[in-house]
Amino acid sequence: MAFTLIGYGVSAITNVGSRAGLVLCAVALTLAACGRSDDAPVLPATSVPATPVFQILATSDLRDAEPLAGMVEKATGVRVKFSFGGTMESTEAVQTGQTQADAAWFANAKYLLSDPQGQARVKLQEKIMLSPIVVGVSESHAKALGWDNPQAKVTWSTVAQAANAGKLRYALSNPATSNQGFMALMGVVASAAGKSEALTVADVRRDAISGFVKGYKLPGDNSTYLSEKFIEQQGPRLNAFINYESWLLSLNQSGKLREKLTLVYPHEGVATADYPLMLLNEARREDYQKVVAYLKGEEAQTWLARTTLRRPVNTDVAQAQLGLFPQGSVLVELPFSTDRALADGLIDAYLNEFRTPIASTFVLDVSGSMNGNGRRQQLVQALQYIAGDDASLTGRIARLTSREKVWMLTFSDSVNTPVFFHLPKAGAQVEAKQKVLSDVRDYAESLRMTGGTALYDAVLMALANMNTERQKNPGYQYSVVAFTDGEVNKGRDLAEFKLAYAQLPEDVKAIPVFMVLFGEANETALKELVATTGGRVFDARKASLYSVFKDIRAYQ
Amino acid sequence: MNKALKALVTLVLLAAFAGAAYFSFFKTAQVADTPAGRLLGTPATVELTGLIALDVETYFQDTRVAKALAAHGLQVKVTRVGSRDMANRVVPGQTPDFFFPSGVVAANQIADAARKANIGATSYSPFYTPMVLASWAPIARILAANGMATESAPKVWQVDLAKLTQTMLDKKRWKDLKDASAYEVNKSVLVSTTDVRKSNSAAMYLALTSYAINGGDLVTDRATAQKVALRVAELFKRQGYQENYVNGNFDDYASIGMGKTPLAFIYENQMLSHALAKKGVGADMVLMYPRPTLFNKVVFVATHERAKRLGELLSTDPQLQRLAVDYGFRIADTTQFVQVAQAAGLAVEERITQVIDPPSADVMAEMIDVITREVGQ
Repeated sequence: MAFTLIGYGVSAITNVGSRAGLVLCAVALTLAACGRSDDAPVLPATSVPATPVFQILATSDLRDAEPLAGMVEKATGVRVKFSFGGTMESTEAVQTGQTQADAAWFANAKYLLSDPQGQARVKLQEKIMLSPIVVGVSESHAKALGWDNPQAKVTWSTVAQAANAGKLRYALSNPATSNQGFMALMGVVASAAGKSEALTVADVRRDAISGFVKGYKLPGDNSTYLSEKFIEQQGPRLNAFINYESWLLSLNQSGKLREKLTLVYPHEGVATADYPLMLLNEARREDYQKVVAYLKGEEAQTWLARTTLRRPVNTDVAQAQLGLFPQGSVLVELPFSTDRALADGLIDAYLNEFRTPIASTFVLDVSGSMNGNGRRQQLVQALQYIAGDDASLTGRIARLTSREKVWMLTFSDSVNTPVFFHLPKAGAQVEAKQKVLSDVRDYAESLRMTGGTALYDAVLMALANMNTERQKNPGYQYSVVAFTDGEVNKGRDLAEFKLAYAQLPEDVKAIPVFMVLFGEANETALKELVATTGGRVFDARKASLYSVFKDIRAYQ
Repeated sequence: MNKALKALVTLVLLAAFAGAAYFSFFKTAQVADTPAGRLLGTPATVELTGLIALDVETYFQDTRVAKALAAHGLQVKVTRVGSRDMANRVVPGQTPDFFFPSGVVAANQIADAARKANIGATSYSPFYTPMVLASWAPIARILAANGMATESAPKVWQVDLAKLTQTMLDKKRWKDLKDASAYEVNKSVLVSTTDVRKSNSAAMYLALTSYAINGGDLVTDRATAQKVALRVAELFKRQGYQENYVNGNFDDYASIGMGKTPLAFIYENQMLSHALAKKGVGADMVLMYPRPTLFNKVVFVATHERAKRLGELLSTDPQLQRLAVDYGFRIADTTQFVQVAQAAGLAVEERITQVIDPPSADVMAEMIDVITREVGQ
């Protein structure tokens, strides 16, 4: 029943490896060296090392720290290999003991470590670096709000009020799946309650949360994705980005922003990620200790501070690199509540009550090729999964939530008529919700596959449909999830799609397309499609379809 | 005692796994009485394996310690585990030669487990360290302005345990205190500790605060233990997440600072080790000595005949004693300790006069059980 919220990330991102790489991956798994390497070379058997690699399971926000692997090996002789995973999967993997990794490295492991099952998995732990969660506001806008003054004492309540008044429109990773999102929500709860300790469900001020969530304009589950979108949309549409200090400082340095972000440290509400490196495999204790000693030493700490802009834990290095980080008044930390009922309740309420509800069209390929290789069954299962009752850590984000609207739009030779499902709001009769979920499951089971692949026509129709709905009901978060297993051979081609897309109203740009790559689908073409529409490609060729659907849910 | 073990029941599986791992170490512990050794007239080397707490890990890693031990014919292989996990490692046929937990509470659990398993155990207390509050000069001055603390020597503070405990129980916030402009925050006045379910230092905090709540009296009976523990539980629960390894709390104090950790309950030797490693401490870092406080005795428990010699040497050998001071511990000879602290730039209380003993093992177990239940809710 335990869960955790650490870092952020996605497990099945595209542009990862080829099919050949995949096969190798499966073979190499026994060497514990597979991970998510982007271009795993084919290793001849002779190069298999005598000492096994020291495998570290890290959340994907630590990708920027990957060069440390080489540095560690050079300094200590320990062959470190990172594998990156989504937050939920990684946490579940540690908690259940499913991971083969020797160590885990998360931005925040407090939920894992306050749970007896999690504690028992972790043999040793050491904090490696620090980064507080802060609110980055476009400079001109910070000035307009008066937040550029360090004496302004901006609290999470101030932030929530600005969001409620439409003055703050921010990007943030999903509170139900990420540490930053969840801690921001907790900051609002604590600030509105006027206390920071011993918060319970009774302290949750619903108006403050709903006000805060009003400004939540760009959700996602991965800071790279959020940054790309933020860079595109910074301006009237988005004027703030809530994330780790390290990430926002890096963004400011990148030169890619229209204007820099002023970093606002919530008064008495800072939550600092402390990046504990945790030993999981007792047999690798000595190597772990060598790695930790190096990571906390001068060389690695200086590198981390300068390259990734995370604050060093080594106080000597912190002193030496002081200039890299904004200095101001004492950052008063928000105590971390370990109250499970509060956390579970808050996430549940966020998904089903507070968040802008989801409205999306699922564009489903029902062409004849879907009959082969158990593909139809995978699709049916994935749809039944999101309409199911999985109470696990990752499952609850995947489920259809209260108020949600779903259109199922199938296509083969041509595009069919969308079938609409609408979930009742929270507090409605349980039976009413169960009925809709059961309808979705029945619908999935009824799908029959035949004919060709008119994907672009279908996506176009879905976007047009969502845009019309959006004008009627702006209080929803709109997106298109499209799924195909083959080359487009019916209807418009990509060039024709692009022309037609350009004819749609400008507003359609706010509706992302989450494209699922499956079977023989054309990866290059699909990437080009999302480059046009905004959104992202998810690769379901190596991960199960339902796990990819689960990932997509965090972006909706 | 059973209750305390019950509280640790989640670790049984882990212990079973580790037990298997230790079996291989155990087998290597034997007298290496080689023919060459006999010919050269050098004493046979006795190899010992032990489970130790983090507190003494660096001590054993010191090559000077290894050398001094080698001169006495001892070779020691140690593995760090949590003190409170150690009693679970007392398994017939798989018990290491010795344990070196960070405190009396854990040592008693080990001795108790050994008794039940029919394993002979002998305890030694070679060095000790007082429990202190690591704090900041502005914080100390606020406590002083509110009658809770006094500066007994430059940068050395005494804090009135009863008054501080009452302030915390009254749920006072820092900004409610007089002259608190240097830390005018909404946070409650609370001491940061580690997780009482897992660590020795938090058990020491429990021992101290239970004494204060009980009106300056040691808790000796079950009924009082239950009543007092319910109050102490608030002081743990209200902290939110607590680190479950000893350095976690001190690391937050040293690397995140006053904004997170205005008052950290630590072993004095943690601060001195830090000062020795960093050649000084941050300008505002100060030690506050609770009145009364507790001494944490680092207890060496020999669970095999051949390890007794090590216990004796650690307690009596001048060089091994002196080296312990380099890791911040106090030894019988206080002068050496004060010299080392001064050289490291840390102001310490030379003579600590008001010291209490922790409650009996049974009372402690009872209180930990109550708190575990409360915190877990």
